[in-house]
Amino acid sequence: MGATLRSWLFTTDHKRVGILYLIGSLAAFAIAGVMAMLMRIELTNIGPDITDNPQDYNVWLYFHGAAMILGFQIPALTGFLANYCVPLMIGARDVAFPRLNALSVWLFWAGIVLALATFVIPDPPDVMWTGYPPYATMTWGNTAFYSFTVLLLGFSSILGGVNFLTTVAYMRAPGMGWNQLNVFVWSIVVAFIIQLIFVPVLGTAVTMLLFDKYLGTTFFQPANGGDVLIYQNLFWFYSHPAVYVILLPFLGITYEIVATFARNRVFNYKMVVYGGFGGVLLLAGEVWVHHLYTAGVPDWLRVGQMVTTLLISVPVGLLMIGLVGTLYRGSIEYRTPMLYALGVLFFFLIGGLTGIPNAIASLDLHLQDTYFIPGHFHYVMAVAGTFAIFGAVYYLFPKMTGRMYRERTGKLGFWLTFIGMNLVFMPMMIAGIEGMPRRYYDYAQFPQVEGMQQLMTVGAFVILAGALVTLWNWLHGALRGEPAPANPWGSRSLEWTAAPSPPPPGNFPVPPRLEPGWSPYAYGERA
Amino acid sequence: MAQQGAELDRELGGRLAAAAHEGEGHAAGEHAHEWETSPWPLTISVGILLALPLAFAFRFVYGQPLLAVIMLGLGTPLIVAGVVGWVREGLGAHELGLSPAAMPWFILAEALIFLTLFASYWVMRLGAPEWPPAGTVDLPRLVPLAMTAILVSSSFTIHAAEARLAEGRHGAFLRWLALTMVLGTVFVLLSAFEWRELIHEGFTPATNAYSTAFFSITGFHAAHVIVGLGAFVALLLPALRGRVSEPFVKSASMYWHFVDVVWLFVVSQVYFW
Repeated sequence: MGATLRSWLFTTDHKRVGILYLIGSLAAFAIAGVMAMLMRIELTNIGPDITDNPQDYNVWLYFHGAAMILGFQIPALTGFLANYCVPLMIGARDVAFPRLNALSVWLFWAGIVLALATFVIPDPPDVMWTGYPPYATMTWGNTAFYSFTVLLLGFSSILGGVNFLTTVAYMRAPGMGWNQLNVFVWSIVVAFIIQLIFVPVLGTAVTMLLFDKYLGTTFFQPANGGDVLIYQNLFWFYSHPAVYVILLPFLGITYEIVATFARNRVFNYKMVVYGGFGGVLLLAGEVWVHHLYTAGVPDWLRVGQMVTTLLISVPVGLLMIGLVGTLYRGSIEYRTPMLYALGVLFFFLIGGLTGIPNAIASLDLHLQDTYFIPGHFHYVMAVAGTFAIFGAVYYLFPKMTGRMYRERTGKLGFWLTFIGMNLVFMPMMIAGIEGMPRRYYDYAQFPQVEGMQQLMTVGAFVILAGALVTLWNWLHGALRGEPAPANPWGSRSLEWTAAPSPPPPGNFPVPPRLEPGWSPYAYGERA
Repeated sequence: MAQQGAELDRELGGRLAAAAHEGEGHAAGEHAHEWETSPWPLTISVGILLALPLAFAFRFVYGQPLLAVIMLGLGTPLIVAGVVGWVREGLGAHELGLSPAAMPWFILAEALIFLTLFASYWVMRLGAPEWPPAGTVDLPRLVPLAMTAILVSSSFTIHAAEARLAEGRHGAFLRWLALTMVLGTVFVLLSAFEWRELIHEGFTPATNAYSTAFFSITGFHAAHVIVGLGAFVALLLPALRGRVSEPFVKSASMYWHFVDVVWLFVVSQVYFW
């Protein structure tokens, strides 16, 4: 027992590091989900429901946003999935720097510990996930823990980026060219380039916040020559690209699932990789001002960034076409991971289309800070990303645990979450158009949305039921499931064809040697 | 289709079994069939958690300086022990030597930190009604020039060290490395001396927008010099006993050149503009 514990705490193996990321990010997801439930219950009726202290609501809102984005989605995609899949997909025995990898995961855990401290410290942080000054520098809340949480997770991401870019560049199996990489590997490469460019900007911004609040500097103090807009610009200069850090890997893993269960090649591989991922990389840093349309930035900047924002839907559209084209004339099998992948397609389509009105500055002036915005970004990023992560856990489940989950239970969990998500976020967008402002603890001035608020709360409980069914399925499968074969899906990718389930230390009993013309998607001609 | 999957599995099972037989011989050396472990990453992470967020919060948020000192006292030794253990392992047999390929990506991230600080400084400065703002004292001219000369020459000395190492002249390598460290240390001391003078004259981080930018930018830079010096210590101590990792020397030297180049921006933007 002691030896087992030690071998996990001190591990440098990429698969175990990946599973440590998975456990941490699912913990963040669970607690952030509880915060969402508390908010939903509080909003069910006009007037106080479970607390009469708006400050409690602020703390829940802070934790829900910060933990879902920084503690769940980014680490689950660029931590867990990148770690588990990339070395296996490229035929490497580990990452380039295994100890650095272990440092990344433990820095991430340090960030999670700090975030969880919210519930035990006096004056917890209450600055949402944005930490805008002047509020963040004036509140009694502990803004320092917000800053340090971001810094720990950011440092972890930077080390991860350095590690994985080197790994993909230097550790591919002999004979594997860049155009033979799995789409998911490409998505991780581009996501980490984006992280390396933009995370340091956020890290510096929250450090400046820390200096301003506790050491008396004046970056964001207008009375003393500073400017709060500096923070807003720096924050969104990172945080908009951060949605691509989430988007690209979640689409990448969706491509893997869709290609496997449609038994089909990836449609227009080069268009997807170079046009889709490359286009997003080029434009990612030129769209952040669409978060600041109402903040008082000059018109030339608003119009310019409206154009770039609309323009970035072109590479994103290429990624959608590639996904649909991969389904086209495929031999589709509706297993649980595939249902989640199709769910991603559904949510991402609705979320993407509702993003276009937000991109247009004149329309956004009306939509800004209403429920329409959280409705939109939950569809496009939060729900679509979560479905991709859940689908990926199901997809990799036999590989990780060596056991099978229960198909019927998996599908039940999928349908409950799928229905629940729509029950929450569709009414949310409608309530937004009717004028309900976001982040409000109570809505006495908006009695017309009370019915929709109640519908959303019902939806939240349906999601909770689906999440519990899914969690039970995973725990039951990991402990009691049927033994899984090496390649239960009949995939052609290296992690399934060349490694047993679960893979041993060093991954491959024989280092893979690739035939000329090898492809992870070689499903051959269909009848 | 399920049938096809089963076939694949049988085929794979056969290949894996065959591999296990023939693999013993040629792959056993490179594929240790045990989980690899290292205690140092976890040690360093716990140290960082104690010495940075917790110590800072106890000191500045909750007004408990004693607890802050305890956190620092617990965290710092953990970090140092972790780095020492890490370096020892790194000089072992398993090193792939890819760090010079990774360092440019890390430097890209570091460069963005400084770009963020400079951009904030430019926005404050170009938007200000008057510059320098009230409360600014005359910044010294001679000290930054001396610091520039010192840091630029240290780039040449570390390059010389690298070249001697490539020629296999171990003693000369050690001497050039030590000289670089002396130059870096003098640089940090001059910076500290200058800060002390300025704070003494009433120019503190809280004085105005200029002081905010000045202390943040020079402080971030000095912190990077200190990290570079730390890397050199981690090179020098094992090297004194004859253990050198050439890729590590190359990476540390790359980082040092970067810190040197950033200083040219600091000096031109903060002192002489």
